Amino acid sequence: MAEVQTIENVACGFCGLGCDDLTVEVEGRQVRAKAPVCPEAARLLRRLDTADPVARVAGETASETEATEAARQILANARAPLIGGLGVDMAGAGAAVDLAIRFGGVLDHYASEGLFRNYAAAQRTGWLSTTLAEVRNRCDLLLVVGDDPSATWGRLFERFFPATPLFAGANRRVVFLGAAPGEKARGQLAGAQVVHHASDDPVAALEALGTLVAGRRPPGESFGGIGADTLAALAEELRNAHYAVVTWNAAEREDGDLVATRATALVDRLNVTTRAGVFPLGGRDNIIGVNQLLLWRLGYPLRTAVRGQASTHDGTLFATEAALADADVLVWISAFRPEPPPAFAGKIIALAHPETIFDKEPDVLIPVGTPGVDHAGTVFRMDSIVSLPLGALRVATLPSVAEAVRRIAEG
Amino acid sequence: MRLRLKGGRVLDPANGENGVASGAVRDIEIEDGRIVAATDLKADAEYELGGAVVMAGGIDLHSHIAGGKMNLARLLMQEDRRAFPEMPGNFCGCGGGRAVPTAHATGCRYAELGYTTVFEPAMVGANARGAHLEMADIPNLDTGAYLVLGNDDYFQRLLAAGAAQEQVNAYVGWMIEATQAFAIKIVNPGGINAFKFNARKMDLDEANPHYGVTPRKVLTTLIRAVTELGIPHPIHLHGCNLGVPGNDDTTLATMLATEGRRLHLTHLQFHSYGTEGDKRFSSSAARIAEMVNANPNISVDVGQVMFGQTITASADYMSQYRNRGLASPKKSIGMDIELDAACGVVPFEYKDKSFVNALQWAIGLELFLLVEDPWRIFLTTDHPNGGPFTTYPHLIRLLMDRDFRNAQLATLNKAAQAHTLLGQITREYTLEEIAILTRAAPARILGLTDKGHLGPGAVADIAVHTEDADREAMFSTTRMVFKNGRLIVKDGVVVELAQGTTHVARPDFDRSVEKDMQRWFDEAVGLKAQHFRISDGELRNGAGPTILKCEGGAS
Ligand code: SF4
Repeated sequence: MAEVQTIENVACGFCGLGCDDLTVEVEGRQVRAKAPVCPEAARLLRRLDTADPVARVAGETASETEATEAARQILANARAPLIGGLGVDMAGAGAAVDLAIRFGGVLDHYASEGLFRNYAAAQRTGWLSTTLAEVRNRCDLLLVVGDDPSATWGRLFERFFPATPLFAGANRRVVFLGAAPGEKARGQLAGAQVVHHASDDPVAALEALGTLVAGRRPPGESFGGIGADTLAALAEELRNAHYAVVTWNAAEREDGDLVATRATALVDRLNVTTRAGVFPLGGRDNIIGVNQLLLWRLGYPLRTAVRGQASTHDGTLFATEAALADADVLVWISAFRPEPPPAFAGKIIALAHPETIFDKEPDVLIPVGTPGVDHAGTVFRMDSIVSLPLGALRVATLPSVAEAVRRIAEG
Repeated sequence: MRLRLKGGRVLDPANGENGVASGAVRDIEIEDGRIVAATDLKADAEYELGGAVVMAGGIDLHSHIAGGKMNLARLLMQEDRRAFPEMPGNFCGCGGGRAVPTAHATGCRYAELGYTTVFEPAMVGANARGAHLEMADIPNLDTGAYLVLGNDDYFQRLLAAGAAQEQVNAYVGWMIEATQAFAIKIVNPGGINAFKFNARKMDLDEANPHYGVTPRKVLTTLIRAVTELGIPHPIHLHGCNLGVPGNDDTTLATMLATEGRRLHLTHLQFHSYGTEGDKRFSSSAARIAEMVNANPNISVDVGQVMFGQTITASADYMSQYRNRGLASPKKSIGMDIELDAACGVVPFEYKDKSFVNALQWAIGLELFLLVEDPWRIFLTTDHPNGGPFTTYPHLIRLLMDRDFRNAQLATLNKAAQAHTLLGQITREYTLEEIAILTRAAPARILGLTDKGHLGPGAVADIAVHTEDADREAMFSTTRMVFKNGRLIVKDGVVVELAQGTTHVARPDFDRSVEKDMQRWFDEAVGLKAQHFRISDGELRNGAGPTILKCEGGAS
């Protein structure tokens, strides 16, 4: 029986929060996370002592060479490929861009909806933002807009509010503007004063707050379900805070772009007299890193098409769902989690997590290893500044996305 | 592999050779990527140069080419990318852009101008891994990055606690190694940190609202640290009060604060403003240049302003926040970063009809022409802050051709013309001086002994220009560029992509600081020091860095 190995300070690349203090036990091919860990990481890090699945072509077992060759054939004949999913580390992202350059294709990440809702604000006016270590140490008033984010970012409030921040004093306050904080959030926020203002329309509440912070009183008795006086008091608190931070998850709401716009405007206004920043939530499966790489390699963010020797960006046209309407081939890449491809009538080449369950058998399936489990890699945290090296936890039997893609592109 | 470049006029100021002046031609021989003494051996390839001018590859010691702020700039200024599409050439379809070109376009455009080495002057520690990943994707250039230090809370705390210089040195050494940096940059010493505590302005002797530390203390302590660690490049300083009228006094005081130790002041143009005249904005270039001339420990680069659309990207969030009202188009990004630094990105259009912009243009040129020693002044636009690096050929002509310069001056804002003495300055740069400014001198001040010259042992980074009385035309099209002995540009067009290397400095330091760094990262930053640290294998797709040993450190 294999010895149990305990690995400390493991970095996690799943939700974008970038925890890097995980303890993991490895026993042969088995992997299991110990504390501190959130349910998402526990689930996604867990590996059993089973053999990895092998490649398939049209549902039949195939060698990796055969699968690679079949994928290349499909791409060589493709008219309009979509390279989607893109749950990859930085090396995999670079390879995916090379693939688009070689065969043409639209590049998009499966979780980019939230990102683009935030960009709606950012590209029009810009924004004033902040990063995790600043929130941890400076933020004395945190405004959480929308739903409680702890369900998606399991350790968010634990990371935001350490026991002994450098500057933010004992009176740290967290205001939930929207849904009520759950038990987990309240537990992690035990050291802070937590307030909840229920709102079914946080956009309206944020807008009124912005006006109040600017020193004007908007006409009306309540905004988004919150009384005008309550909001006026909150505006006063924001103005008196040393370092207020507004955070939200644009992906969760249809009006996420409006939340982003109003939050940005509010923080903009606050900075005239005090300091404040936005901290938009997101970052799942290295979407931020992939987007960064596209920006420095192509000059455009995700949702960009490469054709011939040129690329074009269109946040609507080249969003996965819309682009699939025009595509004849889908290259689906998801290395961090068993995320299945969207429904698609054309040919599918899947470079997929080994546990992926498909509705429809892909034309080519190449199972790939997970960065941070099977091989080393780099991922970006959601703030787009900090990146983390992920290490390998066990001996890989599957190729990384970068290896698998290079074999297809270089043949 | 042996190459021979035959019959060029060799312009190699580092070795005292000036074939342009003497008219002498000679061959240059390359073996396996390095220049060697001439032999009779048969070469694998020979190139007839027919008297063309041969220089070492250009070295830009201050150009923002990588790091998070450039991506923020790309995101904010999609207009720039759309307006400047992909370059021709069957390479990779890897983007375009002018003010913030993509990694590929950066490498190719620089190579076309004869440059082979470029340093990113503002790498934030928290973003260093990203900056290195980005640099690895820049073809044709060797790179390196200066680590922004001095506004980080760890350092401010050290100073506030009265830490011994040895402790500071250990910290600086650890940070350089951990981030794979080449030198230390200070941006608005202490000001970025003070802005996080809501200070809006910071003078040389003003105390940080939280730590009580002054910019002078930050500066002098870090100057001592790099001196004692033996890091070849001196502190690369973006001083206090960037862009503020009246900052000339601060700049002069800053030079005096060095007490004779070496200091490099960057984008000096933005720090040479007086408050004379009815517009309360005037040129102090003459005063500043006089001080530079009198102090051989000081070196500077200009940060020349060039007219047109660009985008400014800086770690100086305090200044950028102040200037964001001037943004054109009207949008900007600011960011506080990780108890470490910050950044601000503001699009900007310099207009020749604007009094301030026209005078900024003139101030830059005055500095170029009034600073006497070409070994201590460097040709930069602070790309993209003063203008894109692709304007260098135009700038070179402005320096070399007085009639051209005065003709340009005559088209500018009238009031600005009246406020500059540029029209009276008769100096014209010689080709040799241009070669010093853009090759020999940067190599020397960076401590790169095998670059910036054409002697045996030098890296075979070579630019060949056909002489042309129109210096802009001459420097716009390079006849040939060799990178490590490989022909990468022919007749102005990139013909091959070469993988560059990344230069890093490796000082010795007291490793007992490691424990303290771990504690700091655990408790304050919320990231493990071991994950902050970048391994050699993470650079240049596994190729690792080119390491410059730091020796001869002396106080
Ligand atoms: S919160 Fe996110 S980064 Fe942290 S352990 Fe869970 S999945 Fe990983």
